Amino acid sequence: MSGIWVVAEERNGRIARMSFEALAAGHVLGEELGLPVNAVLPGSQTGALTAAIATKKVARVVRIENASLATYTSDAFTLALEQFIRAEHPDYVVFPHTYQVRDYAPALAARFGQVLIGDVTGIGAGPVFVRQLMQGRLSGEYRPAGGGICFVSVQSGAFRTEQTESVPATVEVFTPKIEAAQIRTKPSQPFRSSAQTVDLGSAQFIVSVGRGIKEAENLPIVQELAAALGAELAASRPICDSGWLPIERQVGSSGQTVSPKLYLAVGISGAIQHLVGMKGSHCVVAINKDPDAPIFEIADFGIVGDLFEVVPALTEAVKAAKR
Amino acid sequence: MKIIVAIKQVPERDAQVHIDSTGKWIEEGDMQWALNESDAYALEEALQLKEKHGGEVVVVSAGPERVGSTIREALAKGADRAIHIDCDDLGHLDALGVARLLSAAIAPESPDLTLTGLQSDDLGYGQTGVVLAELLGLPHASLILHVEKTEAGLTVKRELEEGWFQTIELPLPAVLTIQSGGNKLRYATLMGIKKAKTKEIRRVTSQELGSAAAPVVFLDRVFAPQKQKSTQILGGTPKEAAAALVEKLKFEARIL
Amino acid sequence: MIYFLPTLAEPQHFAFQDKLLFIVLAASSGFLFWRRFGPILKKILASKKDADFRLFPLGKRSWDFFWEVLCQAKVIRQRPLPGLAHAFVFWGFCAFALVTLNHCAVGLGIGFLDPSGWFGRLYFYLAALFAVACAVGILGLFVRRFVIRPKWLGDKLSWESGFIALLIFLLMATYLAAFYVADASSSARLLWWVHTITLLVFLPIIPHTKHLHLVLSPATVFLSRGGFSRIPPLAGDDDFGLIAGTDLTRLVSLQAYSCVECGRCTEHCPAAITGKLLNPKEIILGLRSYLNECGPASAEPLLGTYNSQEAVFQCTTCGACEYQCPVGIEHVPMLVGLRRGAVNTGAWDDDHGAKLFLALERGSNAFGMSAIERDKFIQKQEFPYFDGSQEYCLWLGCMGGYDPKGREIIADFVRVMKYLGASYGVLRKEKCTGDPVRRLGNDLVYQQLAESNLETMAQAKVKKVVSICPHCVRTIQEDWKEYGTPPEIEHHSEFIARHINQLPPVESRGKIVYHDPCYLGRYRNIYDEPRAVITKAGQLVEAPRSHERSFCCGAGGGLAFLGEEKGERVSQIRAEELVATGASTIGTACPFCNTMFRDALATKGGSVPQLLDIAQLTARNLPAAKPNDATVR
Repeated sequence: MSGIWVVAEERNGRIARMSFEALAAGHVLGEELGLPVNAVLPGSQTGALTAAIATKKVARVVRIENASLATYTSDAFTLALEQFIRAEHPDYVVFPHTYQVRDYAPALAARFGQVLIGDVTGIGAGPVFVRQLMQGRLSGEYRPAGGGICFVSVQSGAFRTEQTESVPATVEVFTPKIEAAQIRTKPSQPFRSSAQTVDLGSAQFIVSVGRGIKEAENLPIVQELAAALGAELAASRPICDSGWLPIERQVGSSGQTVSPKLYLAVGISGAIQHLVGMKGSHCVVAINKDPDAPIFEIADFGIVGDLFEVVPALTEAVKAAKR
Repeated sequence: MKIIVAIKQVPERDAQVHIDSTGKWIEEGDMQWALNESDAYALEEALQLKEKHGGEVVVVSAGPERVGSTIREALAKGADRAIHIDCDDLGHLDALGVARLLSAAIAPESPDLTLTGLQSDDLGYGQTGVVLAELLGLPHASLILHVEKTEAGLTVKRELEEGWFQTIELPLPAVLTIQSGGNKLRYATLMGIKKAKTKEIRRVTSQELGSAAAPVVFLDRVFAPQKQKSTQILGGTPKEAAAALVEKLKFEARIL
Repeated sequence: MIYFLPTLAEPQHFAFQDKLLFIVLAASSGFLFWRRFGPILKKILASKKDADFRLFPLGKRSWDFFWEVLCQAKVIRQRPLPGLAHAFVFWGFCAFALVTLNHCAVGLGIGFLDPSGWFGRLYFYLAALFAVACAVGILGLFVRRFVIRPKWLGDKLSWESGFIALLIFLLMATYLAAFYVADASSSARLLWWVHTITLLVFLPIIPHTKHLHLVLSPATVFLSRGGFSRIPPLAGDDDFGLIAGTDLTRLVSLQAYSCVECGRCTEHCPAAITGKLLNPKEIILGLRSYLNECGPASAEPLLGTYNSQEAVFQCTTCGACEYQCPVGIEHVPMLVGLRRGAVNTGAWDDDHGAKLFLALERGSNAFGMSAIERDKFIQKQEFPYFDGSQEYCLWLGCMGGYDPKGREIIADFVRVMKYLGASYGVLRKEKCTGDPVRRLGNDLVYQQLAESNLETMAQAKVKKVVSICPHCVRTIQEDWKEYGTPPEIEHHSEFIARHINQLPPVESRGKIVYHDPCYLGRYRNIYDEPRAVITKAGQLVEAPRSHERSFCCGAGGGLAFLGEEKGERVSQIRAEELVATGASTIGTACPFCNTMFRDALATKGGSVPQLLDIAQLTARNLPAAKPNDATVR
């Protein structure tokens, strides 16, 4: 058995950030079990990319090279990695838990009579793998039965990428056999939804403004924050009632229901008609000068302060972080 | 089109979670059960395809007797018939075991399309559909928001990270895992419930479907997560608070 | 004295041909009358029987008949002058019963009331008085309809009404004129024939026009459903509500044919007033047209050509229409019935409605919030759980359990209860009473909620419930009866009013204008208790439209959970009315009214009055809160 193999993922001509996190997880596992940690990158013409991984304290780096792997399809990736795994006999295969991995890794594991332990947030002695259940209300420890290959994928941000560099490992190439007829799906180029209509329902980032903004003239403060975050602008009912923002941007029981990754409520008190429109948000941040405002009850993070000071400061901080 | 929808009955979202005496799972005594959310969207997609192209929608669900209420709910919403895989120890099966059970029940039906929800609200593996496709030897696509039937098969809209989408063409028969939010869900109606009373629910035991292989992964114990959801108020000057927030969003919430 | 006044002149002798002519004319008139009325009666009787109609006890029915039909109470009360005019026309008709009978008997040569005898004189003079009043009345009504033209009578001039007015006037005029001609003269004979022809023309017109109410409305008032806005249970497995003609019941058909087109319902409808599609009168007339054209055996949908689905879902179920219908039409059960037909079959496709139904299918409250939020509130406030030993079960409801303002009201009411030493507990598990889905016509979800709650309460051995929300109270008290025996329940205004003397005296704190909630006022006739509470807290001011005329806040009928209203906002209109009274505080007794006015006031510039529930008004007079009575979130 050849140890731990971390499967890196290519995105937009670079190694995706999550791959380095998976590598960090691989190292935790490697230390726990005393196994070597290696990296493998499926793709096509990826020669220039592997340099970035080769210096990350890995014993071996392999490029799986095949023209069919230029665009992601589950058939191609599953076939390629299946052949690689049969050749290398790893103990553990570690993935980052990306949309791509969710699409093929379970099938890959099934080919070996195994089950992917997915979206892992921690690795403990044993090893045991910790993941969240019941939408985060419960955690569970998973233990592989042993005697076969163990497939694991790690959650984004669960492991911090390491900064240490090492002497680069030599990059090997593995060429799997993939027939065109074996690839049964035809994906298109990725696209974004049209920017014309306001679609708060699918927005991932939303900055929402309430009566705390006092006047329409003050809206640009919040608009700048939204722009910095790449967020859509939304509002509570009084803002739309007064005509400061169009009705399509109203979030609440008689407006839109939203479930973004981040909902930033600026100057919103948190009446229930508004809450029911945004309670599905993954992370809620509230900025309000009233410490007793109901919005703080459901916020993950809150800043009690004057929004006219906090919002510009936040805009600056966000811009700095994105640089 | 003959469409099979694999649905799962899960604890309702509101449920308070109490770990049972074995420490391996939660107390189920007082629990209320509901149809898994993304499965509801899968069912909705199937019903809309049937309304457009004709055919039949069959729901399949594995679990103990209480699963019947969720099956009836699916029939009330418009599914034509159901298969109940009577299985008392669903919790002891791993994702592969569950998928094997489902594929044994589904394969003889030879459906044109099999839909599952993206992931379950309780265990949240998100794998059953993908493994099912593998076991049935069919092409699949996951995180699907929209399905359209074409001459050659299907064109589906798939969700990618960070607000990107792509379309995928694939032939029939196929398996899709459906993401929540792609359609407007229909509500259960009195008329639907009354009609459901006459629809067939075929019962089959897990033994009849074939002996299960031993699990390869075990859930050893469950515990309450360290971080309870509580509001973190960030203090200091506006500049300090803003900086602290960005930190939190980057590393704790992992959003930025 | 009466012997000196002129007597009624009657034609003396009728030849055989005259009698024959009279009989033929009368028979034709009767035949034409029956030709139209017969089918209508048949249609009413051919309609489905009402599932839960109980004729007995007769007490209330008789009283309502006496008060509303004989005394014309509703007719007069809402529109005094025209109402009185109509009352006189009606009383005139009643008084004329004997006169008309005698009149016809005279035509057959068997007149039985001697105009020169003491009884005849007395009776005919009495009838004459009524005739004068009736003539004046009908003249006034004619002027109102054709000259003044109030808008709720519609834009089109009703020529049939004009014609009928003319006939009635003629009847009275010919009667009165008969006092001024010589007995047995040719003038008397002429008057007799004119009067007769007028009668015989009138009779067949009745079933062709809204004057059918002359025949039907006494029955309609007597045969009411037996409760305000009483929604009947569905009748068996195939009943999903009012979808087509075959679903119309006898009461619905009877009421549809009784409509007198007065427009009192539309005049007070908050939706109609704010320019929405809904017009209660048109709903009833739409059903009537349907019955006329399609009949009770038809499969043609009720919604579509004859009434619009959109209009039906704009109703707040405030009941203003039903409350003052003078002929006993019960609008709300019809509207809910039409909604049922759309919702129970899935024909209603509304995003917000679906969201509400899905939230209550899967969860415990109308907002789709996690029940854990309610638990957190209870724990934070340290409310005791109901264990059977306390006197009251405090029902939080969706607003009291999840809305920040509702929670404040609950916390203040608890302070009041504690001060009064009342023992209470809250239920561990509460589901929405089902009020919004009940009024929207979703019987599936409503049944699930009602049954689940009834079981919870039975298991917890709940005997007495107190609630801050009139919707919860009404639903628990009345609507839950369909699925079991609900415990006793009262509104917190009743509780506080009962203990009003135990509360500390307080000097007045400014003017408080009280808004009567629809579900407390019209639905349950509770007007005095909340006022007693308000008077204790300040100086009570009445809104221009108060008590049973109170104007809806716009939240009822499930509308608080639906999308934006078209046209003007109902809540805005009412809020402005309340603000215009100049009161410094608006007093509410319903958390929905409270939240609607809060939104409406939020868009007003300048200073707005305080908005406080009666529990809050009471609590602010209590001695300062102890340290562990934390102010609520």
